[in-house]
Amino acid sequence: MPAVTDAPYSVLNLFPSASAGRFGRRRRRERGARIPVSVITGFLGAGKTTLVRAFLNSEQGRGTAVLVNEFGEAGIDDALLRDSAEATALLGNGCLCCNYRSDLQAALHGLVIERERGKIPYFGRVIIETSGLADPGPILTTFATDRALGGEFHIETVMAVVAAVSADSTLDRFIEARRQILLADRVVLAKTDIADADQIARAQARVRALNPRAEILTAVNGALDPRGFFEPSAPALVRTAISGAGGGFFAEEVEIEHTDNVRSFTLVEHAPLAFEPFARAMEALMALRGADLLRVKGWLNVAGCAGPVIVHFVQHLAHPPIELDRWPGTDRASRVVFIMRGIGERQVRDLLAATRALHE
Amino acid sequence: MSRKPARKSGKKLAKSSTRKSSASGRSLAAKPASKPAAAKRAPAMKPKGARPAARQAPQRRPSERSGAPPRLGPAGEVTWNFKLLAHHELGGFGGMGEGMAIQIARDGRRIIWLAHESAPKNFTAVDVSDPRRPKIVVQTDLPESFMRSNSLELTGDIMAVAYQTQKVGQKPAGFELFDISTPERPRSIAFVDASGPHSRGVHQLWFCDGEYVHLAAGAPDFTPTHELDDQFYRIFEVRDPARPVEVGRWWLPGTREGDREAPPARHARPLLDRGNRAHNTNVYPQRPDRCYLGYIDAGMFIMDISDKANPKPICRWDNSPPYTGFTHTVLPLFNRNLLVVTDESTVNDAADWPKLVWILDARDERRPVPISTCPLPPVDAWKGRGGRFGAHNIHENVPLPTAWQSEDVVLGTFFNGGLRAYDITNPYQPHEIATFVPPAPAMSAVGSIQLNDVFADERGIVYTVDRFSGGLYILEMDF
Repeated sequence: MPAVTDAPYSVLNLFPSASAGRFGRRRRRERGARIPVSVITGFLGAGKTTLVRAFLNSEQGRGTAVLVNEFGEAGIDDALLRDSAEATALLGNGCLCCNYRSDLQAALHGLVIERERGKIPYFGRVIIETSGLADPGPILTTFATDRALGGEFHIETVMAVVAAVSADSTLDRFIEARRQILLADRVVLAKTDIADADQIARAQARVRALNPRAEILTAVNGALDPRGFFEPSAPALVRTAISGAGGGFFAEEVEIEHTDNVRSFTLVEHAPLAFEPFARAMEALMALRGADLLRVKGWLNVAGCAGPVIVHFVQHLAHPPIELDRWPGTDRASRVVFIMRGIGERQVRDLLAATRALHE
Repeated sequence: MSRKPARKSGKKLAKSSTRKSSASGRSLAAKPASKPAAAKRAPAMKPKGARPAARQAPQRRPSERSGAPPRLGPAGEVTWNFKLLAHHELGGFGGMGEGMAIQIARDGRRIIWLAHESAPKNFTAVDVSDPRRPKIVVQTDLPESFMRSNSLELTGDIMAVAYQTQKVGQKPAGFELFDISTPERPRSIAFVDASGPHSRGVHQLWFCDGEYVHLAAGAPDFTPTHELDDQFYRIFEVRDPARPVEVGRWWLPGTREGDREAPPARHARPLLDRGNRAHNTNVYPQRPDRCYLGYIDAGMFIMDISDKANPKPICRWDNSPPYTGFTHTVLPLFNRNLLVVTDESTVNDAADWPKLVWILDARDERRPVPISTCPLPPVDAWKGRGGRFGAHNIHENVPLPTAWQSEDVVLGTFFNGGLRAYDITNPYQPHEIATFVPPAPAMSAVGSIQLNDVFADERGIVYTVDRFSGGLYILEMDF
């Protein structure tokens, strides 16, 4: 995890700062000055576009740039006001829509440049509406490091939209649909108005089975509380611990093993921990099994830090840790969610324990 | 270089001035402005007074919720990682200078004192105890239309106000001390006359220890070699505020008639020749033996003032040419071995670009090394938005309990570029983390915002002022 140990140390040695921590300036929120991004996934016909349109028309949706694969698919071309850059269209409410076709990175950088040059309105939020068959994994990878988009953009939330009426069959048939649920922070059940109670209940159960950490929201007549597009203020949820008396990380919930050999679990530790052994363990994990590390995100209670240290890993990439200036509540536990392919909770815990033993 | 004690009659001058002007209606002492006068001055203004930002423009209402979208607008308006709490047009006299200081009054009120950029107003005090509901406490007039106060500072209940005139030889010019223990009725304690046949008086002052006022000032006995080099560094002791006494002065060698040194080279005329003269004269308790001196077209100096009667330069750093001069402020970050140095943009449409905020490695104070600048948006996109675009004032970590202190974040005003905050934790790569560019204020002379100065109090509340008409904007940091 070279990003952890690089710049801040040498610079702070030359120019010491009494208020900055080892991870740089302590921030009020994770995104800092980066532009928040909401990634909206969902299978074909799930109702993504309807939700996005409703958000854009809300007060909170002002100044949002929407990136879509194709205007036609997004279905918002009827709202275009005029053309700007070749692939960008201005919408009402200070929003704009950009067709990114294949290169998301170039499209987002282009939008920022045009914004700075005053060519397009000052947008302060990005929504990426993926195509129905898209696996969100590569998108998350693009945002994982400063070299690509992580320096300017911050993924606040990954949302998967599921049509309640067809959830069962879609999730049965398509691995892409399951991956979208697996990697989501939030799952929105849409089209509940044309589903019966049994279908809704089954859809909820399927989602819960795939991703017990995700917040499940319900869209009402194609609209969602706009807050659903924003970052949750604190990490997911606290579940009953099933193991973990004594020191070290313990699993917070039953490990979920999915049909695609994907496992997800949450590791928790209550006592403040040393950062280095955790970083070394993650380095080893990324080096040995980076391709199977689908998403790891967590808040750490690092000894000596003022607030939680937020860590984020996607495959073989690690985003520089960010220290918040305070804990939002009284729960000070370190909590890391792992979504892995073919790697179990026990293996990760053993790895963390081993690096800790060597460090100590 | 030399020491020329001031006439000992500060108090007498003040009284004389006050008495004289009382008779002629030209009092320098604070005189609350009458409402009819305000109405007469700006008949076209919209209703004055404090208005919570939320009421002012519903379509631009700042959200109180974290994670809410930034404020946007058709003309490049931005509110990003700041929350606008209130905007006050200051009774229609919203053209503000570069003097901002907080007083905690004896009754507990928090009052910000603001210097006006130009006549007719002298200074305005605003009760900001509730930053969402600022209220004017007092607003005073200047006796002459050719005067400007521009700069003020306060310590406890004593406030120092600078007076500059448009032309040399005009009076009154100098600085005045006020007792502001009753904020509604500032009482003149002393006036120091800095007028002279070659002087425009005082442009800027620094007064944070209750003992010394450090000035960029002309003097009756100072004849510059060039008319634009009239203001130099002067130090007055004000331990007895009724009797200010000059204890030291320094000017760039060659700028005074009679100097052995040749007059300094001048910057290109007409746009860039702004004078080899003092601007900011910052002194901090961490190093009471140092003055961090901006000297406009001569760059910056760190001065050894351990002997105030004989200030001596320790170093000089001058970026111009090839840059375009007007070194304004030198802010030392003592714990970090850094200096933050600002230029001032003084020409509309960025014709004097680039005007920057520089970060200097000051591990060796004799050899400061520039290592970075705080990035601004593309000049081509901003220079045509009206008025000036470029660096000017920064929050200066004024060494008082009422000032926010930060060595990791620089707050700066950039005229039509608004207010910007930079994270300089890594000083090689300053990174913008917050932006506030409000819409052009009503009656703006240049059709754009021209944010002129910024001050943050110890609560983290940020105050910024417009140069022409916008008055006071109060914000909360949200980064």
